[in-house]
Amino acid sequence: MRRGSIIQLAAIALVAGAICTAVALAIPWLPVAAGQEAVRTHFTYWFVTIICIGVFSVVAAVLTYTVWKFRAGPDDDSDGPPTHGNTKLEIVWTAIPAVLVTAISVVSAIVLAQNGQAGPNPLIVKVHAQQFAWSFTYPNGQTYGYLTVPTGRHVKLEITTSDVIHSFWVPQLSQKQDAVPGMINSIVITPTRVGTYPVICTELCGLGHALMRSHVDIVSPANYAAWVATGGKAAGPPGLAVFQQNGCGGCHTFTPASSTGTVGPNLDNLAALAKRANRGTLAAFIEESIVKPSAYLEPGYPDAMPHIFGTQIPPGKLKQLVQYLAAGPKQ
Amino acid sequence: MTDLHAHTHDEHAAPPAPAGWRRLTAGGWLRVLWLTPLFFGFGLGLPVLLRYAAGWHPLWKGSVLVSVELVTTPLGFLVAIGGFDYWAHYASGRPTRVDDHASHGARSWRDYFRVNTDHKVIGIQYVVTTIIFFCIGGLFAMLFRAELAQPGDQFFNPQTYNVLVSEHAALMIFLFVIPAFAGLGNYVIPLMIGAADMAFPRLNALSFWLLPVAGTMLLVGMVTPGGGPSSGWTCYAPLCSHQPLGQVFFNMGVQWAGASSIMTALNFLVTIITMRAPGMTFWRMPLLVWANFTTSLLVVIATPFIAGSQFFVMFDRVLHMNFFEAGGGGYVLGYQHIFWFYSHPAVYIMILPGFGIISEVIAVMSRKPVFGYRLMALSLMAILVLGFSVWAHHMFVAGMAGWLRVPMMVTSMVIAVPTGVKVFSWLATMWNGRIRFTTPMLFALGFISMFVIGGLSGIYLASVPIDIHASDTYFIVAHIHYVLFGGSVFTIFAGIYYWFPKMTGKMYDEKLGQLHFWLTFIGFNLTFFPMHYIGLQGMPRRVADYAHRFADINLFISIASFGLGASTLVFLYNMVNSWAHGREAGGNPWRSLTLEWQVSSPPPIFNFDEIPQVVGNPYEYGTPGARHAILGAPKTEPVGAD
Repeated sequence: MRRGSIIQLAAIALVAGAICTAVALAIPWLPVAAGQEAVRTHFTYWFVTIICIGVFSVVAAVLTYTVWKFRAGPDDDSDGPPTHGNTKLEIVWTAIPAVLVTAISVVSAIVLAQNGQAGPNPLIVKVHAQQFAWSFTYPNGQTYGYLTVPTGRHVKLEITTSDVIHSFWVPQLSQKQDAVPGMINSIVITPTRVGTYPVICTELCGLGHALMRSHVDIVSPANYAAWVATGGKAAGPPGLAVFQQNGCGGCHTFTPASSTGTVGPNLDNLAALAKRANRGTLAAFIEESIVKPSAYLEPGYPDAMPHIFGTQIPPGKLKQLVQYLAAGPKQ
Repeated sequence: MTDLHAHTHDEHAAPPAPAGWRRLTAGGWLRVLWLTPLFFGFGLGLPVLLRYAAGWHPLWKGSVLVSVELVTTPLGFLVAIGGFDYWAHYASGRPTRVDDHASHGARSWRDYFRVNTDHKVIGIQYVVTTIIFFCIGGLFAMLFRAELAQPGDQFFNPQTYNVLVSEHAALMIFLFVIPAFAGLGNYVIPLMIGAADMAFPRLNALSFWLLPVAGTMLLVGMVTPGGGPSSGWTCYAPLCSHQPLGQVFFNMGVQWAGASSIMTALNFLVTIITMRAPGMTFWRMPLLVWANFTTSLLVVIATPFIAGSQFFVMFDRVLHMNFFEAGGGGYVLGYQHIFWFYSHPAVYIMILPGFGIISEVIAVMSRKPVFGYRLMALSLMAILVLGFSVWAHHMFVAGMAGWLRVPMMVTSMVIAVPTGVKVFSWLATMWNGRIRFTTPMLFALGFISMFVIGGLSGIYLASVPIDIHASDTYFIVAHIHYVLFGGSVFTIFAGIYYWFPKMTGKMYDEKLGQLHFWLTFIGFNLTFFPMHYIGLQGMPRRVADYAHRFADINLFISIASFGLGASTLVFLYNMVNSWAHGREAGGNPWRSLTLEWQVSSPPPIFNFDEIPQVVGNPYEYGTPGARHAILGAPKTEPVGAD
């Protein structure tokens, strides 16, 4: 290979590398890191990115140079030189990628091991997924429809489900874990950044999958202590908490709860629906629809509502939920 | 008859068509009209009768009836169209017809709609059928991209949306990419190795006819009362065991497509091992043959596993067997282990034949031997072996045994090495070449660049911590489309354009071909590159509704995807118009050395008048006077030095 072509190749590789680096830096590819695990995962991401930009630049340079220099003219019927291979070159391009992927594997394995460390005294929160809601149970037995965790402490999430597979993900924490029936799977998060971030289900779990969302409040240790002391009372009527814990919003629209699901009937119209169904009082109709969803189906909707709520929601909470829904959209 | 291939072409002419009432009983579409309903009735009556005898109620149980019907009705169709005629004839003890060519070769367009044993007819049947499913699958993608143009519900409810997503993937994988390669391989492999046909021509014909059966099943499943298959192409238990009835159509459709795939792979293996022309050693085989050899090994070993996984979930539903029901003592993750033990090798099933196509195209269009030919073949074998050791990288967040994650990460990383060897060897093949930028070459170059991006995003996903972040997001959607569309589909286009002159005898329109390439290449990147970003930022896959902050970029992706879809129209027009009105291509328009180009276009019905004598390597470009094979040579010709 002539020296001139090496210089040209290097120049193209540099330009390609510069463009890739600009794209990698100018666009905020990753969400902000709100936990130690996310910081480590982002480090792995950048480590891989640097290697990939290097590999891509070399390939792009060779490809561009080849396409530019070795095109045949319109009347050129000649063949190229009968080169069959070059053992040294083939060893080099087998060995270098092998070294690079080994480096990535080592870094990834170390990060993976660190991200699984829960320390001696983690806060343990039981996460229960169901179609289509998240609930979070604290050591004191309290259950909420959203997650509240303090900064600076390892939190071990013990995740399970009773119906189908779901997956717990907070993009800003870079930790994800499937909830599997019959298994309890754990992940560790160590929040560092105060804020409210989305909890998303990432495993297709049925009709309400897209709206199976909740949120995590990351608060300072002092605020967390205060939250625990007050019992984490959410603002609003008690029925709202029941509504959220059971994921009603995944399928139903109900303005007071700011939910927008469209899998099931719009609960803003409950009064009119109950009148049309003609199955007793409004409260009786609501209760029957929750406990025995198949007893009466609103025309145009499938028999898709889980049959678990009759046993899952304790009688007191069921009453709060019925009251909340019966109070209508303007509350 | 002493010499099977010494007779003249008149003897190969089709026998007289059956007349009178025999037209109803001879294999063909008329028999389909009455025999298929008969089998349908049998499938309906049997379970009802058995349930009645056992005193089970209700007599008409949807899931049971559908499971039985999806075996009997397709079987009836295959019997009726004539897929089993010869074997039935043989098994019933009638005199055998050793050299019966009645259903071999195409003399009119009607022969493409019959059971035909000519691998060239079957190859074209495959390619055309799969392109139809490609268009249907693409249409589904455009429909759900329309839904995704804005957050919230626009056109489809979540059920319909999930059905469209599931069907898009299932059709593209099982009815397009895998069988399209089987079709191209079918056409080219016997020609390339100097054989008159495949080893088992009747099995070959039957393999093809399973394909429309499987495709119809998947499509009919969509309009089943209660709803179509809606648990994604991965069909994870226990979700899919509790889906509406359409899911059974998916479970069974995969069986038929899988059976077709396994039978074709067996056929390829036996053909390649036993039917190579004299002098065609393994180290003289074109890389396309090597690629299909390795792919076929993958298929016969892996495909039974997806068949098993789909049977198990179906049994969970229909027979309450609790394979994957935690409440009944089942093991939920067992499904994923079995499923991915097929479905990861399946991604190599969907790319290795493409590697073969690219090796052919690049060598011919650069006028140079394939660089490092032996290492290219060995890296295919390395991918084959390693491909079976990486499946659990799909399950890093699934909750499987923790110790499995690092070993599976390492093997997934290592498989990048033989893949890298192939990319570097293609680049080195082009280096110093005399490159012709024909349409197949453009698709080959597009493939290399897109596959490098897809391969590098694969390195991200092999790293467990990054995969934990990116799993089940649009980053995965971007990655899979870079390797499967930018990878496999580009190679299929390269292969179709490259062998179009051989298959039809006509040349495609080069200008339209290049237009098709550029529209596809640009549309593809505009559609799929932004998905990396929204995925990492937090948009999960398989959702009809999403957070408002992704609205603008999703609108952009949707518009780009419509452009990408429209580019297919250029391809279809070019294919149809060139087939009808294209200029004559001649036997060897690319001046290639491999055997399929040494015969006329399209080739004679039995490929070679004389068995060719292979005397050298397939890619000796640049060596004046070098020959890969001598046609019509006397059998005493000594074998040339390797």
